[in-house]
Amino acid sequence: MNPKDLPVVGTVFRLGAQDRVLDSFLLLGPIVILSFVVLGRNAFTISVTGAYLLSFIGYVLYKGIR
Amino acid sequence: MGRSWKPLARDLGRILKALSGMFFLSIIVPLVWGEYYAIPALILAGLIPLGFGYGLTTWCSEPEDIGKLHGMMIAASGWLLVGLFGSLPFYLIAWTVAVDPYSGLLAVPASAETATLAAFRDPLNSFFESMSGITGTGLTMTDDEAVLPRTLQWWRTFIEWVGGVGVIVLTTAILARPGSGSLTLYESEARSEKIHPSIVSTVRTIWWIFILFTFFSISLLWLAGMPPWDAINHGMTGLATGGFSVTDGSIGAYNSPAIDFAMVPVMILGSIAFPVHYLILQGELRNLYTDAQTRWIWGYFTLGSIALVGFLLLDGTYETSRIALTDGIVLTGFAATLFQTVRFGLFQFVSAASCTGFGTTGIGDWSAPAQLTMSLAMFTGAAAGSTVGGIKLIRVITLVRGTAFRIQGVFYPETAVRYLNLNGRKLSEIELSREFEEASIIAFLWILFLAVGLTVLLLTIDQSFTLENAIFEVASAQGNVGLSSGITGPDMPTPAKVMFLFNMWIGRLEIIPVLVLLRGLFDTFNLYQ
Repeated sequence: MNPKDLPVVGTVFRLGAQDRVLDSFLLLGPIVILSFVVLGRNAFTISVTGAYLLSFIGYVLYKGIR
Repeated sequence: MGRSWKPLARDLGRILKALSGMFFLSIIVPLVWGEYYAIPALILAGLIPLGFGYGLTTWCSEPEDIGKLHGMMIAASGWLLVGLFGSLPFYLIAWTVAVDPYSGLLAVPASAETATLAAFRDPLNSFFESMSGITGTGLTMTDDEAVLPRTLQWWRTFIEWVGGVGVIVLTTAILARPGSGSLTLYESEARSEKIHPSIVSTVRTIWWIFILFTFFSISLLWLAGMPPWDAINHGMTGLATGGFSVTDGSIGAYNSPAIDFAMVPVMILGSIAFPVHYLILQGELRNLYTDAQTRWIWGYFTLGSIALVGFLLLDGTYETSRIALTDGIVLTGFAATLFQTVRFGLFQFVSAASCTGFGTTGIGDWSAPAQLTMSLAMFTGAAAGSTVGGIKLIRVITLVRGTAFRIQGVFYPETAVRYLNLNGRKLSEIELSREFEEASIIAFLWILFLAVGLTVLLLTIDQSFTLENAIFEVASAQGNVGLSSGITGPDMPTPAKVMFLFNMWIGRLEIIPVLVLLRGLFDTFNLYQ
């Protein structure tokens, strides 16, 4: 099954950044937020949120300097 | 000046339909927080603009292309109507809590009844709050935002978030308009920059960038130590450079340097134009310095912050003997004073210049030079094509460089052919004259309406407020900033509230569309006689 056939994923891929990585950040954003809303502040949610932010910044820098 | 009102009615109907969707989407908040008494108010608030919107679009279902005149009138009246209908949740929930008409699950808890909420029983206060939100101003009629129902906290955030991008951008994205009118409407909403040849693609790109940065902002603020609900609200209003808060003391309520410094990049993100964001996300990082507006943002924010920090240091506003940053890192003496002054000065200048309006400290008792530095920042704003207010940096650049170009022209022979490079464009003297004229007109009208607002304010407010307090407050309202020297509140005189409503409205649309609408109404209804 192709991911773009899934309802939300398909919409994001069609109307989003036309860049699979940035589209993934768009899709992961609500999940990251939901994780710290539901699970609270702990080592896991801090790590996940930190990784989300750092990987986004890292990807933009990588695209800029490659 | 004969004109058909049908295109206006059709597009206003579409805007109202989009607005009604925002009400229905917001029902999830009272469901999650158990504020069930707010649900009927939200449903009714959504049905009213939906009914009007459906009626208007049915009445004018024939597609008709619109010109610049209609585009400006639609933008001006659309923002006014959104402000008006956006006030319904404030008004209806305030009266629901006062009357408590339901029983059982929908009964209002005693804790919901507060003086802050009661202020919204006055429709003018509700309209003020809504207009302040949708225009991204952030001046408020509440005494204590923290005691508002979560539903209203969310509604304030949501309208600021949408208003940051624009109601026409929202409508165009979800209800793509047939014909060529989308571009005209888009330009009438104080936007001109296109990312793609198609305007529908442009607004959709603006939305995914805005949503992506919203997730980024919320995550960053939570990581800095903000509670989740606060991070969601402040992430949205910070990126939209709106400034509504869910705490009584804005960002200062957390008394956290980490949160203060985390909010600064969020506000700066909101100050940079969307086309530049798009290019940066495509890997073209050089736009951070090759784009003239963005380059000026760095310089202007840096110099302004240094100036403000300098004034605050000279005044000794934040003299501190000792401050503990984390366990083990303690600053004492001048280092502590410098840290606190930089922390507050940087935050407040970026908050003012980005037209956000968050506060970390009281500014009503700052010295006159410090307050006037903030007023200047609010007057100028940041990049056109971003979420900020003010007259925009590109106009300041045009005025400064255009003036220099004219003066230098005296030293050249009359036959010399000269060009000015402005933000990557090579302008001939005729093109420069046109842009210079446009920037001069906006700057003139901006100052004119600031003066009108100031006059009304000085005639009506308590005499205990100083002139710099009044200048600060009017500049804040018209620049859609939201910082307050303490004048704005539910006890503010009615003429001042009405004046500020007008200032916020014209400030968001850069004045001319509102004047065009008023002229059209005067013509149509023969109000000159």
